[in-house]
Amino acid sequence: MRKVYRIILCTGLMAVLLATGSFVHAADPIKVGIVDSYSGPPSTYTNDVRDGFKLAVDKINAKGGVLGRQITFVTRDDKFKVDLGLSAAKELIMREKVDVLVGTINSAVALAIADLAKKEKIPFLATYSKSSNITGAKGHKFVFSMNENTEMAGKAAAAGLAKLPYVNYWIAGDDYEYGHAIADGVWNHLKKMKPDVKLLGESWWKVGEPDFTPYITSILSAKPDAVIIATGGAGCVPFLKAAKTTGFNQQVPFFMHTATELSTLRPLGLEAPEGVIGTSNYYFYYPETPENKSFAEEFKQAYGRYPSFGSLIGWFTAQFIAKAYEKAGKVDPEKFAEALSGMTIDSPLGKLTVRAFDNQVMLPMFMGRTKKADGYDFLVATDIVTIPAEELMPSIEDVKKAREKEK
Amino acid sequence: MTNSFRWKSAVSAVVCAVVLLCAPLFLSRFYIYFLALILVTGLLATSLNLVLGFGGMYQFHHAVFYGIGAYTLALMLTKTDLPRFLGFVAAPVVGALLAVIIGVICVRLSKLYFGMLQLSLGSLVWALVFRWYSFTGGDDGIHGVPMPEAISSITGSYYFTVIVSGVCLYLMFRVVNSPFGRIFQAIRDNPERSEGIGINVKYHQLVGQALAGFFAGVAGSLFVAVEGSVFPDLLFWTLSLEILIMCLLGGWYTFLGPMLGAAIIVTLRTVVGVYTEYWTMVLAIILMLLIFFLPEGVLGYVQKVLRTEGAGTLREDKQC
Amino acid sequence: MEMATNITISGLSQQFLVGLSRTTILFIVSSGLSLVLGVLRIPNLAHGSLYMIGAFLAYSVCMFAGGGSTGFWLALVLAPLGVALISLVVERGLFRYLYDREHLMMLLFTFSLTLLFRDLVKLIWGSDYRSLSPPALFQGSFSVFGLPFPKYNVFLLIIGPLVALGLWLLITKTRIGKISRAAAVDREMVGAVGINVSRVFAFVFIIGCFLAGLGGALVAPTQNITQGMDHTLIMEAFLIVIIGGLGNIWGALLGALIFGLTDSLGVLLWPQFSIVFPYMAVVVVLLFRPKGLLKATW
Repeated sequence: MRKVYRIILCTGLMAVLLATGSFVHAADPIKVGIVDSYSGPPSTYTNDVRDGFKLAVDKINAKGGVLGRQITFVTRDDKFKVDLGLSAAKELIMREKVDVLVGTINSAVALAIADLAKKEKIPFLATYSKSSNITGAKGHKFVFSMNENTEMAGKAAAAGLAKLPYVNYWIAGDDYEYGHAIADGVWNHLKKMKPDVKLLGESWWKVGEPDFTPYITSILSAKPDAVIIATGGAGCVPFLKAAKTTGFNQQVPFFMHTATELSTLRPLGLEAPEGVIGTSNYYFYYPETPENKSFAEEFKQAYGRYPSFGSLIGWFTAQFIAKAYEKAGKVDPEKFAEALSGMTIDSPLGKLTVRAFDNQVMLPMFMGRTKKADGYDFLVATDIVTIPAEELMPSIEDVKKAREKEK
Repeated sequence: MTNSFRWKSAVSAVVCAVVLLCAPLFLSRFYIYFLALILVTGLLATSLNLVLGFGGMYQFHHAVFYGIGAYTLALMLTKTDLPRFLGFVAAPVVGALLAVIIGVICVRLSKLYFGMLQLSLGSLVWALVFRWYSFTGGDDGIHGVPMPEAISSITGSYYFTVIVSGVCLYLMFRVVNSPFGRIFQAIRDNPERSEGIGINVKYHQLVGQALAGFFAGVAGSLFVAVEGSVFPDLLFWTLSLEILIMCLLGGWYTFLGPMLGAAIIVTLRTVVGVYTEYWTMVLAIILMLLIFFLPEGVLGYVQKVLRTEGAGTLREDKQC
Repeated sequence: MEMATNITISGLSQQFLVGLSRTTILFIVSSGLSLVLGVLRIPNLAHGSLYMIGAFLAYSVCMFAGGGSTGFWLALVLAPLGVALISLVVERGLFRYLYDREHLMMLLFTFSLTLLFRDLVKLIWGSDYRSLSPPALFQGSFSVFGLPFPKYNVFLLIIGPLVALGLWLLITKTRIGKISRAAAVDREMVGAVGINVSRVFAFVFIIGCFLAGLGGALVAPTQNITQGMDHTLIMEAFLIVIIGGLGNIWGALLGALIFGLTDSLGVLLWPQFSIVFPYMAVVVVLLFRPKGLLKATW
């Protein structure tokens, strides 16, 4: 009876699964579940986030943990795909029974998990996804963002670009949501701050485009004053490389969000193009405060490389989690969410606050130009201008309006 | 099919159904969700096998019909105020429609060329969904699709999935064993001969495509019920390849092979993924071993060993 | 949705040249695939993985040799050879036993290889970006029609026809080449005449994979070396081979030209939708010439 065999096979499989499921917990530690993209190009950033997180957690645990418990964390790879990320998040909640969810660099995954978090009433801290919808239009009590979003980056960039003499712009970038969002963010704010800027045209290439030469020559033949390059995690490094090879950076000034960040510049080494205008949330070498220096040292000691913005995010996410539980007094998702909203901690960047209204962390932005520097085998930023957090947060009015539209 | 055989397979089907329906009583939430996912994926794979295993068509981009079904439901539920059940009706209809449209263009070609053309056309559909941000949410996808109360919980969606996929499997089974099904397989085995005896090959292939697209659309709507989200990956060629793999793995000449293949892949993905981030490598090795030693797929092999011509084995025994 | 308003003769000519250099890589990789598909009738999805491995190997060899110009030239020679070696192992160890299987099973098998190679690459090289610079000779760019044209692309423009010529000579003028062509059309006959078909297949497979590795090594200095490379390329390569005609090298060249040029000219003419152009070209070709533009071997 073939079918009977099949039933036996199925029940056997189910039994195995049940068995593996029941390996779980001596219930005591606080469990954090991290879903992120650990395969392919995004992993440069996400490994930094995880390492920064681990650094902080190890230290916290060494001092006795939180509420007398240790913090443990497990990771799942979403391979930059939404179905895998969503499945992993569900598995973490229902099988691993984590207390808090953390992740991911992919905004689409983050939005899916944020929605799940709302249904399941589990706190979710988005670490590297930059969609403004996460804390904006689709924000709610249980979702928090630990990094800047495209609105904030756009505002900061516009503030910096408005001070420069360029009028005729070209926009080019990765043809997906993030690319368009960051381009819109920069352009809309730039137009408000400097109304006489003109958009000559736009070019959009597919994500993962290997060859930018046709686009570069197309842009150059239009002769803009400056170019806004809207690339995401996968596109920044390749584009900068192409810029250097074609001499693009010497022919026309261009701006790229994260162009001055360590994660972007490190893989290119000394081959990175100079003179590129970029915004970044963190440099390990600026400002030269004692907190920043000691953090950079600690990270370098532990992992053999300098910390990037991702490392910092991982680090202060852990700090926020620990402090929120301390304030809440017990491991309860509702109390945790209430405690974390509006909380302030100390960090290498000074005091960091999670704005109570939309659970968005308030981060300053630094704009600068890339340049070679002695003592480092990667480029650093010079002519750094600081834009304080308050100036680039989306206004509460705008967030309210966006959320109203969602209903 | 002999009477006693019919009776036996009916009994085993009932036992299976009872087990599945009682599962929520003794399984945790996660495993209910997990089972639902397997059923949805298995339904999708079986719909592919209608044209792949039983029709011999190189269906390289089946995921498009699945994704379109899912998006249809999601869009109807989030953007319109039409009655909820209409969405569930629309999804398979749109899937079938798209399958016929693409089919009409591709069916003039055969085998590899058919597959490649379908791949290109399907990619155009994907590109449309991907870029039309204002309508489809583009890369972000659509999340938190509101489901009717009864099926919005994990258990609710599970029961819904069990019932719907059970019905669909039964329907597909009847199709495969019907006169149409036999003609369809005859076309697979020898298209020229079939043409010669007066069968309108293209017409039958199109009907097959419509059916496959219809059931893929159903699977798509079930996916929305279980996961609550849609995203462009549902129409991407890598998913199409995955479903193909499931059919080949489970046994593409059998009816339940694809379901088994789906169960294996989804399980490996979830369970192995817990232990190592290199689960694709584990999957790859298992697949290669299976191909080497079990060319008829897992179920095909099991059947061969047991030497029963059970329900669903409709491959002609070539030795006769 | 705007058409570009800056179409000038110089811009057009520039894009044309750029498209041609892109064609080179596409051609080299696709011709390898076409050979394997045409003679062995294996739809080798892992062809893209071998391309990726070629790029990673080129990186490692170059770094090992100090990272400069000599490193690059060494990599250009050694990386494709390394890939050829890997393919030899795969063919003798695995494929050889599967020639009689169904096409779809071969597809499944090569797909599993793709998964395997992907994770192996991640295991060996980690998941970070890798970056390679072109040798000093080819750094920087010429000014062509007033716009920058990377010197490395000129190199590609020269290499492309050279490889095509070499391949053509191999296939038509050498004994083994002629035997391979015969085997593509009728392998039983070739076997009946007393030739070891298995060896012929191995030879063709290695050449095909060598080309994939060469393509990877050549493309390495122009873009990021990451794990997504296999995916993007394999789809394009397959489409090129299909529209060119299975097993037809000149078909692969034609297909690569169509792809490369529609891509780069599309960028100039309609930037927003340039990604659609190559696919549209494929659909058009298949509608009018379903078996491909040039004669296929099966």
